[in-house]
Amino acid sequence: MNNPYEVLGVSETASDEEIKDAYRRLAKKYHPDNYTDSPLSDIAEQKMKEINEAYDQINQIRQKGRGTGSAGSGNYSGNGSSSQFYSVRIYIQRNMIDQAEQILDSAPQGNRTAEWFYLKGMCAYRRGWSEQAFSYFTTACNMNPGNGEYRAALNNMQNQRAYNYGGYNQTNVGNQSDCTCCDICTTIMCADCLCDCCRMGC
Amino acid sequence: MFGYLQVQKSELLVREFEAYKAVYCGLCKQMGKDYSFLTRFSLSYDCAYYAMLLMSFHRSCSGFIDRRCTFNPLKKCRFALTESDSYGKAAAFSVISAYFKLKDDISDSRLFKRIMYRMILPFFSHWRKKAAKKYADIDNLISQMMDLQYEAEHNLECSVDRAAHPTAFLLGNIFSLEAKDETDRRVLYEFGYQLGRWIYLIDAADDVVQDKKSGNYNPFIDSNGKIAKVDYIAAVLNQSLARAYDAYNLIDLTDFKGILDNMILKGFPTVQNKITDKLYTEVKNE
Repeated sequence: MNNPYEVLGVSETASDEEIKDAYRRLAKKYHPDNYTDSPLSDIAEQKMKEINEAYDQINQIRQKGRGTGSAGSGNYSGNGSSSQFYSVRIYIQRNMIDQAEQILDSAPQGNRTAEWFYLKGMCAYRRGWSEQAFSYFTTACNMNPGNGEYRAALNNMQNQRAYNYGGYNQTNVGNQSDCTCCDICTTIMCADCLCDCCRMGC
Repeated sequence: MFGYLQVQKSELLVREFEAYKAVYCGLCKQMGKDYSFLTRFSLSYDCAYYAMLLMSFHRSCSGFIDRRCTFNPLKKCRFALTESDSYGKAAAFSVISAYFKLKDDISDSRLFKRIMYRMILPFFSHWRKKAAKKYADIDNLISQMMDLQYEAEHNLECSVDRAAHPTAFLLGNIFSLEAKDETDRRVLYEFGYQLGRWIYLIDAADDVVQDKKSGNYNPFIDSNGKIAKVDYIAAVLNQSLARAYDAYNLIDLTDFKGILDNMILKGFPTVQNKITDKLYTEVKNE
């Protein structure tokens, strides 16, 4: 196995606190929740396992007994066995999207339940066709609003769609209020100028 | 590609900015050496990003040297050196895509411009042949993508997904050429796919008002000639970038990490917000 310190990206002289921080940062990054439905979920899981092991190992080396690290990576597989499209789920899990879609497309019109739409959405999502996936997931949720699995997939999409990184979010979105930061700033500057006029410069 | 892959300069460290410039200058020099000084004009930020990603991925940047800039001999420039073929690949990518873009532009532009484009096309054709000899896979992928693009845009039921697919597919495949194993390949493909999708869609968003006037195809204009809601466009773009970032996190990168992080977390969203902000005002004024 690799050097556990390298896996966490810290030096061997790092303090316990630094290691914990590095571990937490990485665990957040690779957390399975970030990769729900993603075609890369298994790779993220693998990474998560590696950092868990590395963290445990460091803790052992440092004579602190077992770390608290390995709590992560729960089992995120769907409730497959009762499903009428069991084989489709297996194919999707193995990233064999063509085969999965073939089965779905051959299903008769009457069998196109909420689950069918959900799985069609999964196939589209795995291919990277996010818009199509979004509309399939929406249909699935509308047909069966009580199902947590479909809801979770749709929520995940909505989070991604609302997510705009970096601090510089859109500001001038249509309904601006009358008084912005700029206005305040200009007002203060004007007031300051007036002050100067009276030779009382403040 | 179109120059949307930029850094957020104000958030870079000075040494990071210098390294970024050094990669850009290194690539510019390589293009002059491999092709002609004229091709240097076709150099874009996107290709600099590609070169830097390759250098970071292969850990092949071996240092920097100070030399005179060929464009302006009075200026001193810093050049990043590399042991791998990163510059060569990025230069080939730039030249080949410039050739196809030129060819595409000929059919879209008016008489006078068309004549001008026709006159310079043979030069680009020559450079492209030269590039294709060494990097046949890149040339194949790009010409394949041009065919797919033509097919997609002339399909009556062309969805956003379908329109973006050729560019996304191209970048996914170009990036996965570098993979050392199957895991690498999947991660790089997903990253390239989502990034390529974002590039195509941001370009479409940038041109949407102009395309409406001229009646050109644009995925954000529906069959009744109406422009999609700006919030919708922003959501589609956000999603591509979010998925690209998830994949990006799974790539092992150390060199230039600060710069690459800056780009995907700040540079690209800033470019995107600039364009959507512009759209908000333009759509409101209509």
